[in-house]
Amino acid sequence: MEEYTKQIPQSEAKPDTKPAVKLSGVCKRFGDFTAVDNLDLGIREGEFFSLLGPSGCGKTTTLRMIAGFEDPSEGTLSVAGEPMLGVPPYRRPVNTVFQSYALFPHLDVAENVAFGLKRSKVAKGEIGKRVAEACEMVQLSGFENRKSSNLSGGQQQRVALARALVNRPKVLLLDEPLGALDLKLRKEMQIELKNLQHSLGITFVYVTHDQEEALTMSDRIAVMDDGKVRQIADPATLYELPADRFVAGFIGETNTFSGEVVDTAKNRAIIHTADGMDIEAFVPDGREVSKGEEAHAAVRPEKVRLGGEGDNVVSGKIRDVVYLGSSTQYIVETSGGERISLVKQNIRDASGEKEGDEATVAWDAENCLILGG
Amino acid sequence: MDERKGWSWRLAGLLSPAAFWLGIFFMLPLMLILVYSFGRSGVYGDITITFDPSNYLRVFDPLYLEIIGRSLAIAGLTTLFCFALGYPLAYFITFKGGRWKLALLLMVMIPFWTSLLVRAYAWVVILGGNGIANRSLQFLGITSEPLNLIFTPQAVMMGMVYSYLPFMILPLYASLEKFDSRLKEAAQDLGASRWHTFWKVTFPLSLPGVIAGSILVFIPSAGEFVIPDLLGGSRTVMTGNLIQQQFLNARDWAFGSALAVMLGVLMLGAILLYIRKVGTDKLEGV
Repeated sequence: MEEYTKQIPQSEAKPDTKPAVKLSGVCKRFGDFTAVDNLDLGIREGEFFSLLGPSGCGKTTTLRMIAGFEDPSEGTLSVAGEPMLGVPPYRRPVNTVFQSYALFPHLDVAENVAFGLKRSKVAKGEIGKRVAEACEMVQLSGFENRKSSNLSGGQQQRVALARALVNRPKVLLLDEPLGALDLKLRKEMQIELKNLQHSLGITFVYVTHDQEEALTMSDRIAVMDDGKVRQIADPATLYELPADRFVAGFIGETNTFSGEVVDTAKNRAIIHTADGMDIEAFVPDGREVSKGEEAHAAVRPEKVRLGGEGDNVVSGKIRDVVYLGSSTQYIVETSGGERISLVKQNIRDASGEKEGDEATVAWDAENCLILGG
Repeated sequence: MDERKGWSWRLAGLLSPAAFWLGIFFMLPLMLILVYSFGRSGVYGDITITFDPSNYLRVFDPLYLEIIGRSLAIAGLTTLFCFALGYPLAYFITFKGGRWKLALLLMVMIPFWTSLLVRAYAWVVILGGNGIANRSLQFLGITSEPLNLIFTPQAVMMGMVYSYLPFMILPLYASLEKFDSRLKEAAQDLGASRWHTFWKVTFPLSLPGVIAGSILVFIPSAGEFVIPDLLGGSRTVMTGNLIQQQFLNARDWAFGSALAVMLGVLMLGAILLYIRKVGTDKLEGV
């Protein structure tokens, strides 16, 4: 453990260092199908970077190209400044944690972990030391002589992690590594992975379709859809300033309104929706809209209030009340048929809105965002 | 308790046909052979049941030992050749066969459709003094005189490798087919070249197929008597021929039985040793 931290300078993502992984104009086609379409990515050294998107969005293909299992049809790819086109997987300074773990069933835990070290001709004594360290790092000490088939899913996951990290890769690629674990274990492993990444300072590239997982762990996230990157940003920016309707809908829940822009002012626009609402929304820099244009605005459920005052006030009927523990979700249907979702913290108070009640909902323009695309 | 009893009755019902069949047609003859092997053959082929180990002592005659030794050596070499020829083929069919996989497997099995005897005779025609092989060699000017190809240990082995190759290829295919190719990616990801990936991952995981194939080839070839009879002539006698002679020509069933038991015990020992050596610790968890 100490050795790792000694060798690799402890670091947060360093914005201005050379990129650990760089993809420029990368396309990958399988026959007629374009899996990855003109992708540009710069992953910084020491960063926890996630590729997030629904299945089939090209995130795993992207990871496989970095690992060397697929060659890009077009474009260039480099790892740690070295061009990687045509370099076979076994000569790349990256290691992968596979979705299915892909542990070697004929080898025990220690032999699995030592596999990469033996291939790179590390001295015998050194191998033993590093294997022991790696097992300790993932809390598998004492399991060294177990066959991988006699381990639980979580333990197999740890072996896969140790087997990759023991080689001290420049970049660690993780392909939905927690997908097969139950919720509780997944939460624990999320924290553990994040801590490991932090203390080792190795660049992690993490593929997941779970937006919550990506938000919790990542320094930056690339949201992908249909082979293209929709937005690259840190978790807070993704949530607060989603670039387009896809990102807004994919990351967390959102209410979106579409309509014609009827008025604009500085950083403000008013959208007239099809069912007759006028929604005042915030216009971020670079997303300016003009009168008469079609535009979309989004507001998060937790930023909508029941009753009260605000820039936007809409009345309707409560259609659904869902108790969520720390909060309650209400679905309010307006007279025009628009459904607005809102989330209220559960505090003991007199209000006891029920299904079927008339209600007024309000939100501020500050929290209602004009979306691009 | 009752439920358990129900199960055991059902189990007994399911097992009894096979148990009956094996009991009558396998265990009983085997027991008879065992009993005969301690008996004494009369002049006219009748057997007196005694407890006389002299038949077993006769097996240790250098003449017979040589035949048994030769049988095991030929069977071992046949297994080795079948493996050397069969593994690459099984590997190719499994991983590169693509849509031709089934057709290729069928071609491996086609020779089974004709009887072993016919196929052995075909080799007589090919290897005989005036056979296709000799005539081709002379036609091409490689040899001027017919070579002595038939009635040699090499001819016997050629025939046996040809006959038993499918027994090697099919179990190898079955075990390679189960191979999870993601493991290949994992190995390459960890820095193993194709060569290392094969020797450290693919091959060890195909060992169950190697063991099954080797046993399936070794056992019948050690006891083979048709092929050595046709291709080996009188100079390449194998244990199978010897046993056949004792039963059919010499009418010495007692000695024939002792030879058969000895061969069985030797092979059982060889296989146990082989599995101990190649298998067990590596096969766990596969």
